[in-house]
Amino acid sequence: MASFVTRRLIAAFFVLLAATFLMYMLVALSGDPLEELRQGNAPNKQQLMDSLSMRLNLDVPPFLRYFLWLGGVGQCFVGQCDFGVNVQGLPVLTLLEQAMGSTLQLVTGAQIIAIVVGLIVGITTALRQYSGYDYSITFASFLFFSLPIFWVAVLLKQYIAIGFNNWLADPLIGVPVVIGISIVSGLLWMSFLGGAAKRRLVTLGVATASTAAMLVYFELTNWFTTPNVGIVGVAVTAIAAALGVTAISVGLANKHAVRGALVTAVVGIALYYPMTYFVFPGMNLPLFLALAVGAIIGGGVIGYFFGGRDRWQSARTSAIVAFIIGAVIALEGFLMYWNAYFNSTRINGRPIATIGSATPNLGGNFWIQGIDTFTHLLLPTIAIILISFASLTRYTRASMLEVMNQDYIRTARSKGLTQRTVVVRHALRNALIPISTVIALDIGALIGGAVITETVFGWSGMGQLFLEGLRHIDPNPVMAFFVVTGLLAVVFNLVADLLYASLDPRIRVS
Amino acid sequence: MSELNSALQVPPSDGGSADETTIEQRQTVGLSQGQIVRKRFFHHKGAVISIIVLAFVIVLAYSSVGLHMFGISIPGWWQWHWNATPPLINRGVPTLNLIPGPGFGIGPHPFGQDQIGKDIFALVMRGAQQSIMIMVLVGAVGTGLGVLIGSLAGFYRGIGDALLMRFTDVIITIPFLVIGAVVGRAVGGFGAPVLGLFLGLFAWTGLARLVRGEFLSLREREFVDAARVSGASDKRIIFKHILPNSVGVIIVSATLLMAGAILAETALSFLGFGVQSPDTSLGVIVSENQAAFATRPWLFWWPGVFIIVIALTVNFIGDGLRDAFDPRQKKMPSPKALAKALARRAHATRTPK
Amino acid sequence: MTRLVTQSIPTISVDDSSPLLQIRDLEVGFTTQYGVVPAVRGVSLTLYAGQTLAIVGESGSGKTTTAQAIINLLAGTGRVTAGQILFQGRDLTALTATEMQGVRGSQIGYVPQDPMSNLNPVWNIGFQVEEAIKANSDLRGKALRARTVEVLQEAGLSDAEDRLKQYPHQFSGGMRQRVLIGIGLSSRPKLLIADEPTSALDVTVQRQILDHLGTLTRDYGTSVLFITHDLGLAAERAEQLVVMYKGKIVESGPSQQILANPKHPYTQRLVAAAPSLASKRIQAKKHDEAADIYSSGGTDTALIDRAAIREELAPSGDLITVQGVSKMYRIRTKGLKYTELLAVNDVSFGIKKGTTSAIVGESGSGKSTVAKLILQLESLTSGSIAFDGTDVAGLKGKELLKFRRRVQPVFQDPYGSLDPQYNVGNTIAEPLLAHNIGSRRERQARVLELLDQVSLPAATQFRYPSELSGGQRQRIAIARALALKPDVLVLDEAVSALDVLVQGQILNLLTELQTELELTYLFITHDLAVVRLVADNVCVMQKGRIVEAASTDDVFDNPQQAYTQELLAAIPGGDFEFGR
Repeated sequence: MASFVTRRLIAAFFVLLAATFLMYMLVALSGDPLEELRQGNAPNKQQLMDSLSMRLNLDVPPFLRYFLWLGGVGQCFVGQCDFGVNVQGLPVLTLLEQAMGSTLQLVTGAQIIAIVVGLIVGITTALRQYSGYDYSITFASFLFFSLPIFWVAVLLKQYIAIGFNNWLADPLIGVPVVIGISIVSGLLWMSFLGGAAKRRLVTLGVATASTAAMLVYFELTNWFTTPNVGIVGVAVTAIAAALGVTAISVGLANKHAVRGALVTAVVGIALYYPMTYFVFPGMNLPLFLALAVGAIIGGGVIGYFFGGRDRWQSARTSAIVAFIIGAVIALEGFLMYWNAYFNSTRINGRPIATIGSATPNLGGNFWIQGIDTFTHLLLPTIAIILISFASLTRYTRASMLEVMNQDYIRTARSKGLTQRTVVVRHALRNALIPISTVIALDIGALIGGAVITETVFGWSGMGQLFLEGLRHIDPNPVMAFFVVTGLLAVVFNLVADLLYASLDPRIRVS
Repeated sequence: MSELNSALQVPPSDGGSADETTIEQRQTVGLSQGQIVRKRFFHHKGAVISIIVLAFVIVLAYSSVGLHMFGISIPGWWQWHWNATPPLINRGVPTLNLIPGPGFGIGPHPFGQDQIGKDIFALVMRGAQQSIMIMVLVGAVGTGLGVLIGSLAGFYRGIGDALLMRFTDVIITIPFLVIGAVVGRAVGGFGAPVLGLFLGLFAWTGLARLVRGEFLSLREREFVDAARVSGASDKRIIFKHILPNSVGVIIVSATLLMAGAILAETALSFLGFGVQSPDTSLGVIVSENQAAFATRPWLFWWPGVFIIVIALTVNFIGDGLRDAFDPRQKKMPSPKALAKALARRAHATRTPK
Repeated sequence: MTRLVTQSIPTISVDDSSPLLQIRDLEVGFTTQYGVVPAVRGVSLTLYAGQTLAIVGESGSGKTTTAQAIINLLAGTGRVTAGQILFQGRDLTALTATEMQGVRGSQIGYVPQDPMSNLNPVWNIGFQVEEAIKANSDLRGKALRARTVEVLQEAGLSDAEDRLKQYPHQFSGGMRQRVLIGIGLSSRPKLLIADEPTSALDVTVQRQILDHLGTLTRDYGTSVLFITHDLGLAAERAEQLVVMYKGKIVESGPSQQILANPKHPYTQRLVAAAPSLASKRIQAKKHDEAADIYSSGGTDTALIDRAAIREELAPSGDLITVQGVSKMYRIRTKGLKYTELLAVNDVSFGIKKGTTSAIVGESGSGKSTVAKLILQLESLTSGSIAFDGTDVAGLKGKELLKFRRRVQPVFQDPYGSLDPQYNVGNTIAEPLLAHNIGSRRERQARVLELLDQVSLPAATQFRYPSELSGGQRQRIAIARALALKPDVLVLDEAVSALDVLVQGQILNLLTELQTELELTYLFITHDLAVVRLVADNVCVMQKGRIVEAASTDDVFDNPQQAYTQELLAAIPGGDFEFGR
């Protein structure tokens, strides 16, 4: 194991070395860094050119310049990274740190959502192969797969941001819109849940009616100007979460688990007022995270206590329920400050941002800052999800179908296991082996993959660093970008292998 | 034949396998593998529609504004050149009107005009030409190199294989978009064909790994052993046995490579590292006109729609081909190898974000 | 084979109690893009408590489909289109999915066919047994663990407790099959469906496992529905027999009666062709007068005559001499270390011209490696192989080509050994082309001649392997091997993937060709029955060594080594009396 990792790391090191050399030569040969100055007509042109030449060692041929650069980067091993300076003379290391923070903020949430949604949709399409739902998702994923993101971004800005902001000024939903949205939502739920003809009709009816009821309720209570969840909303979602999660994870036949989940829900509901009145005004990030962890542990304990025969199953269920209720109550926290954010002079009634990563000089507490981050992340996140979702869904579907045809699935059925157990414990568990590899490689490509998204949404992240560097034939920022992305790619390739070995007992790394 | 056989004649000799197979077989009697593949492909509605649409787009693009490259210049049937600046008609609003009644028809500027009067239809057609050419070039060069490198590595194994694969590792470490941008920065000004060729030089890695894997598994198959003991040379085994049996994998991934290539090219051109003005491509048109979305949305819609149509049809054709070659009929590689190959393919052809 | 036959099956009755399982006019169809394809057509059978009933048939006969239909485990698009499956009076075809879950495992156990693919590779053995017990009982915690160990011990894994945490890939095929039997019986079901539970295993392992299964089911009073392609096995293990052909039952009744007096022509041929049953007779009567077991008569006399001719013709010198041959594989274990595996250990034997020699052994005995060494597909570690007086070990280039013209292989897998992109004509012509023999026209003529030799119509040359059955493909593989007019054919498990009837045809073809073309055969096989049918000399291999080598008659009538005796004893149905 250790020798495997060492060997792989050594191999990766040499691969990376070769790749950086190739990259350095390509960048150096792609143009002349002095071109811009030479064509400009600054009075001290020659002096500027000379100093730039000095800073970037342009008098050294590229082949040798690479080793100068490598010498600086090599000092990372002794904790003294030197990525050189850019054309303006700023140290690249500082730029790199800022860029990475910004990019990570952009891609982390999007990637997590894309993975969760992609997995769920992939699994459900595999289980309902050749249904209308399957065909629609297949078509949609092909479409998403073929979308140029720079083009979609413009559409998102126009319709989601500008359009929605305009609408928020006078939030009125017309009757035809209510009917339209309700029917569409009903159809989506029907195709998603599937089942026999009768069950489908029931789903359609219930989903359509409840969507319509919700929209009318929003309209009548002026919800969009004073958004809130309310104790009723929390109660309804809590009970629904308790029943829903139990049904999916262990089945409603397990009375112990149902009881545990419901008690968790009741505890959550009881905590609503204390939280919103006493805890939320003084919220900060560590406390927020601690509360999230607390909710999961609390739920787990309740579930374990009520567990009956299969305590851990029940504990797991209740922990998930507690997390969902916690999220809903946290949502209420954000909504409480929505108006303050909405009406602040910086926002001025146009909350959804089209560009940048934060509203400058906004101020405000944890919640206001949170909302601001959210409104800035919304559009780029949608864009990233649309595209990552497509490939992951297709891959999950293929992998699930492959596994569902295996003999051991039939054997599992012959034992008298429930369909849910067979799908989750035998099919999904095995399908996850290749899927996890793909996800690991995806994550490895994350930072380098968001170049275009960053550009169109004006985030000054890694993409910006790379593109600006390339535009000015400024090798150091470009190389800094590449060292990070290359390193991630190589490391996550190794992670993918190790993950594979840990998930599949047949593989022993040696 | 012998007595034994005649005695056993009541069930048809060498009785068939499962009934399902027999039905399947009945459908394909006397057809070569190629014919079976073609037949299956034409069962895939999405792929067939896609072929028709793509062919239409290609014919439209090349016939309308004519062929202009390498000094050859064949005029097309469309009245405007993409760089001509006729006077603005009605602010440049598209004149295409498919609603029967007054004004029905394509009009002088079906896709509208930009602010200085350039005809968007001509511009989009020229852009589509360039984007399609780059797509095909990247596909051809990438596939050619990938097959060459992959088959050499997979067939001869040993040190050559190790070296080639490490070389592949090096190239694959650099995201395609990144290397594309660097290459585009260097050669984008030399025109679309040169850009396509150079992008292709870095697009072969995924395919090389796939072909290598295919070769490694095929060379262990019994029919290859059988060919070897009947005296076939390496050349014959590669070209007559292994390669024809890898054709499915190669064609499918070449198609997906092309779908990825058009998105990569348009993205690069959008960023300014692809095709350079005064030449144009679909990405360049979107890039130049994105600010005008609020006032002249047609400047933005048409090139985008053409990118999507081309990428979508190519993707669907790839899917149809995959179904047609039906990998389930083949011996599967090990789950691990398969997962890695698929992951890499997904990566190689993924839309750059 | 009309409906009438099916319906006129006499009802089997052991006692007066109502049957445990009763299938009435069952029809199962698979939906394909060309419509619904029937796989089971009007099957009726009855099984009483404590009884064992075997369904026998070749692949595609619908026997597995019938079994899977009982607990609704049909693959893909299959479903029951008509008929009833009454289990303790309840119609299983009318159950909901949830009700069926209650029946599976607890009421009806299932032992699947292939032990290699039927255990989930990512869960340990203990877990997979445990979940089966858990799904059908209230046992939890320590009691559950204890029961798991008990189940595995009952299934014959004595060290079960230590092996709970091990994964399927750490178990041998036989052990995995024991685990699967344990799972199938874990909840003491009333009925156990065993679908070819041992066909993937070596013959000695097969015997142990079936003995064990028999003991268990007898102890628990479990009824067994036994699915097999092997008539001998069925006869030995089941009281009742149902013979299926193309989705229909052609004959059913008590095993002894059917074997002694098969009525339907298909059953008659099956009884006649089953090598496991017939082999003893055929060789025993080799020099006797014309008594034979083939209903049609004459066949074995033909074989015998040819054998006699071969013996007369055989010159004294060996065509192939294998002298002290060893083959070592180096298996990389950790880092740069290797372990050495001696696949073939100091093996010596000779093959006389015009004779048939067989190498017999179980999987892992090294028999296939010997074949590869002789074919020069692998290099020797030590020893020498001489062909017609010349050492072939170091042959290169032209010399090697020349050698290959004279020694040709026929491989086991009729699906893998033909290039799917080549039509039959090109496949057969390939060796001629590779050796640059003849003009186009001459090659074409030779292809037709070869097709005729292997009894395939000339039109076959335009067809593709995917259109052909296993037996037809194997004929083509033989034709290709014969194209260069070789002296020796190395047949590596060349008939073991085929159904019994087809197997008989191919063996017959081979012996016929042998006399016609004066061929020398080297058979590599695990199947002693096949050996007895065709071989003159036998080498029994075990763990890389030859443990016994003698003429076929000597080996079968008077086995010297314990291992050989064990192998012979394990042949199913060996002790049975068969009708003609």
